Amino acid sequence: MKRMKQISAMLSALGLLLIAASGCTGKGAAAGKYAVGIAQYAEHGSLDNCRKGFLAGLAEEGFTEGKNLKVRYENAQADGGTANQIADSIAAGRTDLIAAIGTPMAQSAFRAAGKADIPVIYTAVNDPVAAELAREDGTPTGNVTGTSDRLPVEKQLEMIRTILPDAKKIGILYSTSEVNSISTVQEYRDAAPAHDFKIVESGISVAADIPLAADQLLAKVDCLCNLTDNTVVSSLPLILEKADRKGIPVFGSEIEQVKIGCLAAVGLDYYELGIQTGKMAARVLKGEAKAGEIPFKVCKEASFYGNTAAAKNLGISIPEELTGPAGEMFDRIEEHQGKS
Amino acid sequence: MTDIIMGILEEGLTYAIMALGVYLTYRILNFPDLSVDGTFPLGGAVTAVLLQAGANPLLTLPVSFFAGAAAGMLTGLIHIKLRVRDLLSGIIMMTALYSLNLRIAGRANVPVFSRETIFDNAFLDKWVPAGVQPFLAVLFLFLIGMVMKRLLDWYLGTKSGFLLRAAGDNEALITSLAKDKGTVKIIGLSLSNAFVALSGCLYCQKSGFFEISTGTGTMVIGLASVIIGMKLFQKRTSVKATTAVIFGSIVYKTCVAAAISLGMAASDLKLITAVLFLLILAVSSGRKGKVTANA
Repeated sequence: MKRMKQISAMLSALGLLLIAASGCTGKGAAAGKYAVGIAQYAEHGSLDNCRKGFLAGLAEEGFTEGKNLKVRYENAQADGGTANQIADSIAAGRTDLIAAIGTPMAQSAFRAAGKADIPVIYTAVNDPVAAELAREDGTPTGNVTGTSDRLPVEKQLEMIRTILPDAKKIGILYSTSEVNSISTVQEYRDAAPAHDFKIVESGISVAADIPLAADQLLAKVDCLCNLTDNTVVSSLPLILEKADRKGIPVFGSEIEQVKIGCLAAVGLDYYELGIQTGKMAARVLKGEAKAGEIPFKVCKEASFYGNTAAAKNLGISIPEELTGPAGEMFDRIEEHQGKS
Repeated sequence: MTDIIMGILEEGLTYAIMALGVYLTYRILNFPDLSVDGTFPLGGAVTAVLLQAGANPLLTLPVSFFAGAAAGMLTGLIHIKLRVRDLLSGIIMMTALYSLNLRIAGRANVPVFSRETIFDNAFLDKWVPAGVQPFLAVLFLFLIGMVMKRLLDWYLGTKSGFLLRAAGDNEALITSLAKDKGTVKIIGLSLSNAFVALSGCLYCQKSGFFEISTGTGTMVIGLASVIIGMKLFQKRTSVKATTAVIFGSIVYKTCVAAAISLGMAASDLKLITAVLFLLILAVSSGRKGKVTANA
């Protein structure tokens, strides 16, 4: 009897804690108001831009945060277990739509929302088909759709060839634990011979491996090409410094990387990607289409970004044909701001 | 609200089986075994590959269990036969398993959404009424958890289990009984990691995908669950340690869920979780203090 009492006391204590916790979660929104939960996998420059773009895209379609839109934002800090719990927590609250940023987060949200039949709009998922969020033909596997941040590999290789006509070997540093990077490296490997390049890759498992791996790679290649690999991007300043000392150019894959000193990139603007995703979400919120009926989109528009300060340091000039009207040039190297 | 509780119970019960494994090495064997950071995703990797190949979901449970046992045995062999220190042999195994898991799974992230799992398959869809479906995962995890707990309780009561307990408390006793303490430790590590890999298997099926990064920090979650559980029930001698560990795991996940729900800035999540633990530990210590004063 005594034991029963004690256990029930424990259980009620647990219950109290839960009630206290749930009191703070999304309350039912009033009529005409919409609630959106944003679940982001890691805190990272590109992903943050996605989120800002997403809200901007929603705003363009008439869903403004604070006015007729209630936004709940959670970040899993690159922890798979937390990602699952965040997805559960958001799906359990009153929400009209879940926006998931990053592949593992999209998968967690898809699972959690499936039970409650809440539409999921994802972004920054490199390969939705491999992640089983879409079928081969691009149609969703459930009430889920979004945008892919697949890199414009062909255009990047063309650009590298234009800047470095004599280069033979491109080095790529990536982490073996990031599925996005692995599929992108494969794309590079497939596309490189057509441009007369050879890809030399180096896989790392933790950020601490980067200095050694970078040194070894730099001894073998004519230039480095950086992906959107979370682990590698956070150590990019270190890689840039090492490459700089050897006079080896480093190409980036998006605007933020060029700002902090990569020579050039043909890459995505994650803010733009976010806007596209936001507009997709708006269609679902307005009831124009169900998430499960919209095929996922790959961001087609890639822009050229160049850094003239980095070019000057290397004694390389960026050809006029690249810097044309569509390109964006930076004339200084910014401090690395992104935290990852 | 029910959804939140179900979510916590699912997470807590899944990790509880892992925590039972950690309890076995950390509390009973007095062995800080870091290989669990590798054996937890090992269970997931094996499961994902089997499910992708179209295997019966039930098969994944014993296969993961034995894969974990094999890995744990290796940790034990490294420690005993090669005379590597306990902490280091766990680190070696954990490091090796990282690559091995990637090899087994083929890549860092393997989805199994479209496959049948023990929680979601045609048989259940057909025979279980829709109203009960949302509670199935918790029910299954509870049953599997109970079976594993009973199994561990039973084992610790056998002669082999008794030797295991002695190995942690009093190694000399083992030798005086003319038994090899090395063998006892290897058995303990195998059993512990088998539990951990089984937990990883359930986790993969529950979340619908295998992800290599889920292994990081498993040891910390296990330790926290064991310590919270033991602390909460330290005055309740009627409650078995294994039961306490299961509760510990659920309380741990409740803390994380509460931290998420409190809606703090994303970067403060871990800090809030830490503060909640501290509170639980402080409160349970405080109660103990009073009891002692009255006695």
